[in-house]
Amino acid sequence: MKSLNRREFMKGTVGAAASLTVLSQPRARAAGEKVIIGVMGLGGRGTYLAEKFAQRPDVEIAYLSDPNTRRFARAREVVEEAQDKRPKMVQDFRKILDDPSVDALINATPDHWHGLGAIMACQAGKDVYVEKPMAHNIWEGRKMIEAARKYKRVIQVGMQSRTAPYTGKAKEYIQSGKMGDIYLVRVFNMMQHPKQKETPNQPVPEGFDYDLWCGPAPKLPYNPSRRWLNQWEYSCGPIPGDVVHQLDLARYLMDDIPYPKTVVHTGGVNALTDGRQTPDTQLATFEYGSLTLMMEAALWTPYMKKIPADIRDSDRFPNWPFCSTRIEILGTEGFMYYGRHGAGWQAYDANGELVRSEYGRQADKEHQDNFIDCIRTRKKPNADVEIGHKTALLCHMANISYRVGNLKLEFDPQTETFTNCDKANQYIKREYREPWVVPDNV
Amino acid sequence: MTLRKLLLSFGIAVLCSRCCYSQWLEISNVKLRQESTELAGPKIMIEYDIIDPGISPESPAYVFVRYSRDSGKSWQFIPMDSLRGNGFDIVDKSGHKQIIWWGTSQTSFTDGNQVEVRVRGIAMARIPAGKFVMKSLPGAGRDESKEISPDPDLPLFYMAKNETTISMYTDYLNELGSEAAGWNQRMASENRCGIVRNDDGTYSVKPGRENYPVTYVSWYDATNFLLWCGLRLPSEAECEKTMRGGLYLDGDAAKKKPNPMPERRYPWGDESPGADGVFRCNYDSEDDGFAYSSPVGSFAKFGSPYGICDLAGNVAEWTLDWYSTSYHAGLDGFRMVRGGSWMAVAAACDAITGATQLPLKESSIMGFRGVKGPANSR
Repeated sequence: MKSLNRREFMKGTVGAAASLTVLSQPRARAAGEKVIIGVMGLGGRGTYLAEKFAQRPDVEIAYLSDPNTRRFARAREVVEEAQDKRPKMVQDFRKILDDPSVDALINATPDHWHGLGAIMACQAGKDVYVEKPMAHNIWEGRKMIEAARKYKRVIQVGMQSRTAPYTGKAKEYIQSGKMGDIYLVRVFNMMQHPKQKETPNQPVPEGFDYDLWCGPAPKLPYNPSRRWLNQWEYSCGPIPGDVVHQLDLARYLMDDIPYPKTVVHTGGVNALTDGRQTPDTQLATFEYGSLTLMMEAALWTPYMKKIPADIRDSDRFPNWPFCSTRIEILGTEGFMYYGRHGAGWQAYDANGELVRSEYGRQADKEHQDNFIDCIRTRKKPNADVEIGHKTALLCHMANISYRVGNLKLEFDPQTETFTNCDKANQYIKREYREPWVVPDNV
Repeated sequence: MTLRKLLLSFGIAVLCSRCCYSQWLEISNVKLRQESTELAGPKIMIEYDIIDPGISPESPAYVFVRYSRDSGKSWQFIPMDSLRGNGFDIVDKSGHKQIIWWGTSQTSFTDGNQVEVRVRGIAMARIPAGKFVMKSLPGAGRDESKEISPDPDLPLFYMAKNETTISMYTDYLNELGSEAAGWNQRMASENRCGIVRNDDGTYSVKPGRENYPVTYVSWYDATNFLLWCGLRLPSEAECEKTMRGGLYLDGDAAKKKPNPMPERRYPWGDESPGADGVFRCNYDSEDDGFAYSSPVGSFAKFGSPYGICDLAGNVAEWTLDWYSTSYHAGLDGFRMVRGGSWMAVAAACDAITGATQLPLKESSIMGFRGVKGPANSR
């Protein structure tokens, strides 16, 4: 197969370059043959994923890439330790895409690179494991689905909690009707973030390709103290970056409910007034007909704790009222606490009596197993790109409601646009910086 | 280990120890005797020789003493505030030393025959109090929650001239005993560390690896070793000042030796580590002579303005400082690592680059060194 090479890409937009590619049938590695993977983005999550995949006997990490070469050593070290083979270190991820021996790309970049990185990988014939939130905006998510389907690629989104067996049991319990009819699901994601303290702009340090790092986003003056998570240009926001797991679990538990009819957001930058753009307080209500999904999230609640490490993989439950990553399912005949990170779930009857408890375990490995299995079998993965899109959509909808003044917005699932606010539709798609443009026709 | 047992007989001086572990300073003729006093209970006199022409006020030794009262089964650190004399803590002159060990609860031994002491010394550099230039890259991993002074200043402190070596760490493990935490299987790696656990529960250094920096140590391992010595990890600010030097190399009190390059990028200046075919530290280059880490001090010629070696490259070094990224805050507690490593690109070996690591991480590219100074020195 001929993959998109760098020269071709630089001639024009992604779309122009993609039109030059000649597609092959999706490759499926034979059993016993290692799946060859390259990693794009060597921050904490990318390094973690590189290590975990490198530890698998059925995978070889052939490439590690990051625009910032200062990040190379930490990632290379863990991969070498895990697989006893040195990966190639590259600043530009397109070198991974150029290599026909590579089967898949792990995309663990900031949000602004998720969509284009995944689409370019599909065009180059690579399967993709992309971190969440899957896309920077609604339109981009739809394009990712189109690319995956057009090029017959597997895209697994890093929403691993839905792969956990205890989550499946919770879904079965809810769907069995033992809790009656479910009319309300409350999703929590309370965190504690520090204020950012912006310092003056600085020259781009040696060894850092800042232009590549910015990619499709505007190239703001280099300022390392400005957190990308807090800027719309690069991020969906720190709350969506985490609550997306909770929203995905809520959707999964409710049998993957597709699209809400409306959204209304409350909140803003209330506590961490440090020049950030993205809110520190986000409460959103999504109406799915008779079912209401509520999201409560904030960045200033130190007493709310994520699941402690000693509970994550044990036969213990968290202290639910102070569990920052819980989901509450409210039915006409019962109530359920569900906790992420292997915290398990507990169900109560109409009298408030505990009637069912299920301990949990985290499922990172199972999610990775599923990705590798799908690369071989060409099945759709557990967190397929369409699922990822419909979950990320909730984050985008809440953000857009906030950005238009916390207005209640009505959503048309056919066009994936808002029907009662033109201004809201301006946020459906971002401005892409040449040449890093996601084309209409992927 | 050649620090020989010191038998204590009441009122009788007994013997000596000589250290041949790489990077402990050589200490010989250790003598120990217990003397009674009229009113203050017994005291212990410890004498030893430390003969090293390199010892000076700028490059002193840090000397600490550990003792056992059960024939070497367990050991304790003798607190500095129970010692008097000229041979403990910061020792800035070579020669014969005398320490008086006071403290009735510690020194009232009922069976003096079971008492042993071990005296160890580490080569240090003196970093005088004063202002310096701090310009860490926040995006490269600085704890943004810290208040960064625009005019940073640090009190006097001392930093080990070299990274903690494999043999020093093995000595520590052997003193802790076979059940001690602090060793992991990866430390047996021939090229990347070299500490083997023997069947009898003791630890050995693979021949030839004595003088290499210890690796695969977690932040906790490093901290425990330094507590054992009476030292601590450096802060990021201390690392940065030590790399560049203060505005005055003799400190703000003297101000006689202005630093010609207070904003230098690397300990030796601004030249890239491999500029002009001269290799100034051990980084990710096939031409610097080392495929993995190098023996400590291999690039001594390119040390910091205070004569401290391998601050750039070789192994990255744990620091005291937390990293509180917004994303992970409250959950994990990353610590900062400084100085680049044998696996890092040249630019990552500079004075400003830090990396984040979980404190439990045991890595072949990370080690540590000790600091003696005020507890909250930032």
